Amino acid sequence: MERADVVVVGSGASGAAAAWALSRRPGLRVICLEQGERTDPAHYPATQIGWELRRQGDASFDPNIRQALGDYPIDNSDTPISLANFNGLGGGTILYSAHFPRFHPSDFRTRSLDGVGDDWPLTYHQLEPYFTQNEQMMGVAGLVGDPAYPEYQSLLPPVPLGPMGRKLAEGFNALGWHWWPSYAAINTRHHDGRAACANLGPCNTGCAQGAKGSVDVTYWPHALNQGVELRTGCSVQKLLMGDDGRVGGVRYVDADGGDHELAADFVVLAAGGAGTPRLLLNSASDRFPNGLANQSGLVGRNLMVHPLAYVEAVFDQDLRSSIGPHGCCLLSQNFYESDAARGFARGYTLHILRGAPPLETALGGFMTRRIPLGPGHHRAMAATFNRTAGIAVISEDLPDPANRIELDPDHRDRFGMPGVKVRYALGDNTKAMLAHGTEQARTVLEAAGGKVTLAFSPVRHSGWHVMGTTRMGDDPATSVVDRFGRAHGIDNLYVVDSSLFVTAGAVNPVATAQALTLYCCDHLAKRLGPSP
Amino acid sequence: MKDVFLDTILPGDEGLGLPSASAIAVVLVEWDQYAPVLDQLAIEAGGESFLALDAPSRLALVEKSRRKQARLANGVIVAALKAYYTHPQVLHALGAGAVPPFPDGNFLEDDDWSILEPVFERGPIWREVPA
Repeated sequence: MERADVVVVGSGASGAAAAWALSRRPGLRVICLEQGERTDPAHYPATQIGWELRRQGDASFDPNIRQALGDYPIDNSDTPISLANFNGLGGGTILYSAHFPRFHPSDFRTRSLDGVGDDWPLTYHQLEPYFTQNEQMMGVAGLVGDPAYPEYQSLLPPVPLGPMGRKLAEGFNALGWHWWPSYAAINTRHHDGRAACANLGPCNTGCAQGAKGSVDVTYWPHALNQGVELRTGCSVQKLLMGDDGRVGGVRYVDADGGDHELAADFVVLAAGGAGTPRLLLNSASDRFPNGLANQSGLVGRNLMVHPLAYVEAVFDQDLRSSIGPHGCCLLSQNFYESDAARGFARGYTLHILRGAPPLETALGGFMTRRIPLGPGHHRAMAATFNRTAGIAVISEDLPDPANRIELDPDHRDRFGMPGVKVRYALGDNTKAMLAHGTEQARTVLEAAGGKVTLAFSPVRHSGWHVMGTTRMGDDPATSVVDRFGRAHGIDNLYVVDSSLFVTAGAVNPVATAQALTLYCCDHLAKRLGPSP
Repeated sequence: MKDVFLDTILPGDEGLGLPSASAIAVVLVEWDQYAPVLDQLAIEAGGESFLALDAPSRLALVEKSRRKQARLANGVIVAALKAYYTHPQVLHALGAGAVPPFPDGNFLEDDDWSILEPVFERGPIWREVPA
């Protein structure tokens, strides 16, 4: 049987960082298996006039719509928030908006500080050097000196606010609220051989410029140079357990349907918050009837997804609001830390989004009847397009074992492996937080001079941030893996993606997930042999 | 009839430099099913056909069709909107920036970060965590 020192499952944000980190040690054979295919930036939607249409097809964030070769079905019928992902080289970073703030120090101590969730088995300060290292690798823009964070060391210059961003900033200033230019994994200057951002706009359909820090253009070129063997179109079906209580390798199917077994000294799972528990659960056997690493029964449980509220306003002026990186402009963490007077624990980020592009504006106006058909259409459209601003309220989701991912034998991928069923409900704390955030978003939009035209929660198609499904901890009864991502009871099996999260924070998770990956891989690398 | 329908829902606007929808090539899936619905509704309203109505009446009929045959009517209208708002002439007239976005991209001016002074002045707001 073919053999590797380390097999990494998944090539997305964490899989890429893991492959890079582990291959820095010469002489190791590291193989990464990715079930999706490599994407070609030359064919990304932004290269085409009708790019908005591709969002509803092959560039959709919904695998049930996209139905690419590497996708697996996700049943969202028992959740108000449907999951989003991308399966291919680079994983979700291909379609993410690259909003890249770190978790806060308090996020790692929610039980001690606020009596909710659980404390992590590590601290912000333990992760800090890995945050910094990761930001160098990913190319992160922003501005140092943010009063909402401990000091950052250095960042690329911030993404431009544009007229809309400045308008919102004036609103925040009028209220005396915190705001800051976005932390964005976007090259605002030439960095690491990649070009600077040209404000194409639709970062979340893939960056044809190569300025967005998706891991196919950040970690992967370096990992491949270090000798990592990358195999796309290879879907891992099961982990193979040896008689010695260690995982012996993986069984996977290649793009042509060929079955393979690959032996490994260590297996590193980085298939994401849905894919990682799916694989562990599907690796059930007579010896492990509930799946691997699941003696706690927590594999797939404690699912957290960052429920969003969305508030939109229209302004009298043309603010060119659709121009610029769609998901990166500015953010406010005025309501991030707990305040008992608000009636809920923990807090949220106000994430300012640029205005919708033309077709989205027209379709949204049509469906909500704010832009009529007929003679009044163009004037209404002109009074809306490039004049809107949106605020997403990113709320901290608290862990709840009832929220979970299960195998779904009724819906299978093309190789017959079960898809996933999502069972999720909003908690009362989250509902109160979303209501509060909606009101504050409304307040700041009005302070900036906007007229609020839309406000609702939760946003259904917003389940990008899938976390907590193989949580880390010191107690095997209440966690799946230990403080280094090593499975309790299986010494050579690691999880290194956002499945590890103990709590969710209230910011986009990739910066923290990758820092955690580097931290865990540092531990694993020490077991692989002496440093070069 | 299709052109009349398109010009009913998306007429041109010379002042804004926007063409009517019939002036650009629009393929409407399910048009063959939808057109008879419009004619039937016109007859039920006492008219002869959709084409025989004046412009305000045609528009009212389209809206009525959305209530009577929501899936079909909205599907056809959405198809028209998709075609219209992905046409280069329309996108240029709207001020949608580079069409397509790549390779030209768009310019946004540099910012004057003195706008952050009030935020600096408030001082740190992150929560210290005991070791």
